Amino acid sequence: MKDNGIIEITFHGRGGQTAITASQLLAEFTFEKGFKDTIAIPIIGAERRGAPIQAFTKISQDKSIRTYDSVKDPDYMLIFDTSLLSIPRINETIKEGVTLIVDSVRPLDKNKLPKNVKVFIVDATGICIKNKFMHSSGPILNIPMLGAFGKVSGYYALEIMEKVLKKEFGEERIDKNMAVAKDAYESVKEV
Amino acid sequence: MIKPELKDFLQSEEIKIIKGNVAAAYAAKSARVQVISAYPITPQTTVVEKLSEFVDGGLMPGTQYIKVESEHSVLASLVGSSMAGTRTFTATSGQGLFYMYEMVHWTAGVRLPIVMAIASRGPAPPWNIWADFTDVISCRDTGWMSAFTATHQEIYDEILMSYKVCEDYDVLLPKFVAYGGFILSHTSKPVILEDQDKVDNFLPPLPDEKGWPHIWIDPKRPLMHGNLIMPSGFYSEFRMKIHDALIRSKSKIKAVAKEFEKTFGRSYGNGLIQEYRMDGADVAMLNYGDLALQMEEAIDAVREEGYKVGMVKLRHFRPFPVEDIIEVAKKVKVLGVMDRATAFGSPTGGPVSSEVKTALHGTKGTALIFPMINGIGGREVTVEQQKEQLKILIKINETGELPEDLLHGTLWHGKLEVD
Repeated sequence: MKDNGIIEITFHGRGGQTAITASQLLAEFTFEKGFKDTIAIPIIGAERRGAPIQAFTKISQDKSIRTYDSVKDPDYMLIFDTSLLSIPRINETIKEGVTLIVDSVRPLDKNKLPKNVKVFIVDATGICIKNKFMHSSGPILNIPMLGAFGKVSGYYALEIMEKVLKKEFGEERIDKNMAVAKDAYESVKEV
Repeated sequence: MIKPELKDFLQSEEIKIIKGNVAAAYAAKSARVQVISAYPITPQTTVVEKLSEFVDGGLMPGTQYIKVESEHSVLASLVGSSMAGTRTFTATSGQGLFYMYEMVHWTAGVRLPIVMAIASRGPAPPWNIWADFTDVISCRDTGWMSAFTATHQEIYDEILMSYKVCEDYDVLLPKFVAYGGFILSHTSKPVILEDQDKVDNFLPPLPDEKGWPHIWIDPKRPLMHGNLIMPSGFYSEFRMKIHDALIRSKSKIKAVAKEFEKTFGRSYGNGLIQEYRMDGADVAMLNYGDLALQMEEAIDAVREEGYKVGMVKLRHFRPFPVEDIIEVAKKVKVLGVMDRATAFGSPTGGPVSSEVKTALHGTKGTALIFPMINGIGGREVTVEQQKEQLKILIKINETGELPEDLLHGTLWHGKLEVD
């Protein structure tokens, strides 16, 4: 958290991996939980499947958020695809003190990271495949990634996710959504 | 004539985390607009998309949704609909607004209370789809009112207020409600959607079958409207009336902002401008749109360092709040005016800084006006940069010297470094 009481989260994914929706849903989960203010900021240009995508969410338990600028020094980074970590402009934002949540089955090489960086991994892709939680271009990673984030940050639990997702997407798909969320919530681990 | 049905879908008070564009769509729904005409253009598209969902889903019974082949036809069809006596709405951006331009003049000429949301974007070329208010400002002389909004909530609120101002029989003019493309249109924040009953009570009733007081379209009594008028006819007097109505709309905007605050509890200054920490300020910045909200953060930080700085948020460009600007300029020694728009060849290169200078002409004892431009074509402006901008004003006040790197007297802030 910054001195101004605002927690900043960045999302790095590839077009189609649902990272932009993740930034919006995180704003909704935390607001539902009782955070005072949230803002979801997608970076929009010429998106296409597979291209690197960035989004930000700023949340605050007790302050109004008055900024629209991009997040340069995040508290958390959600990495939907480990191949993005080799892109310099993404790699460079991994600074001391940040917590990474990565869709991966393997731990990251900590020697390549600044000191005092916490790394959590969750097999979000595997969870989606196992639960057949897919859309036309692949696994819907945002729900398991946000399940993992809820657990790691402690900002919201599964019940909050269920409440918001029911409101957003209806009863029909809630079981599948919650199955992947729970799977990720329970299996995310620090490495 | 489209008659709203009685079993309308009713919105109860609710906070939703929504994009600025969706807030605009909800405002049109809350205002029970009767005709929407639409043509998609980035970054506005999701406004009319959301409205088509509402209409298709039966949430706006009685509302006609017209799909046309271009922006010119969007406004032409709304002119027809509004002349028939209906509350109308649309949204556009940048090039779409330019394509409408002929009908933009026409709308004000017929004195129609149409409200249009503008998700502002930079004019091409090169193609640009990001925040820049040059689009809406280039309609300066059309007779439309124009408002800038700084928050998601303000988009929703300002659209409601606009209908009340536009439909006032002493005003009867159209209005733009502008907000920065992507910065507000595509980011999401909590927005309070008001109870339908409360909105219904706040707004004037929808026009009855007789329509607006100055125009009555009746198939049984055919009349020609907007016909050629000889120079000896009333053309000149009609134009005088438009100017007069636009100037007089200032007091209506102020009254409506006051009533809005009383009804819904949210304050937008006096409606025309909104001051932030101007108490005892030596220097101040005038901002508009999203950067005005973010500037509050910079003001707080620089005040913390012990400098007496303040901000004035400009809420309306037309009518231009001349009297309020004079008052502000009497309070401080240096007034920076920050444009996120261009007015090529004007005295300062920035449209609002040129207006401010004009407003102060002939008034003694006012601040030094320092024109600045930033964020053109959506270039990011950070809080850190905004703090730097305030420091520049402080330095001018302390030393009396202007920065060296000016272009014809204006500071273009946040330029790329070129070797």
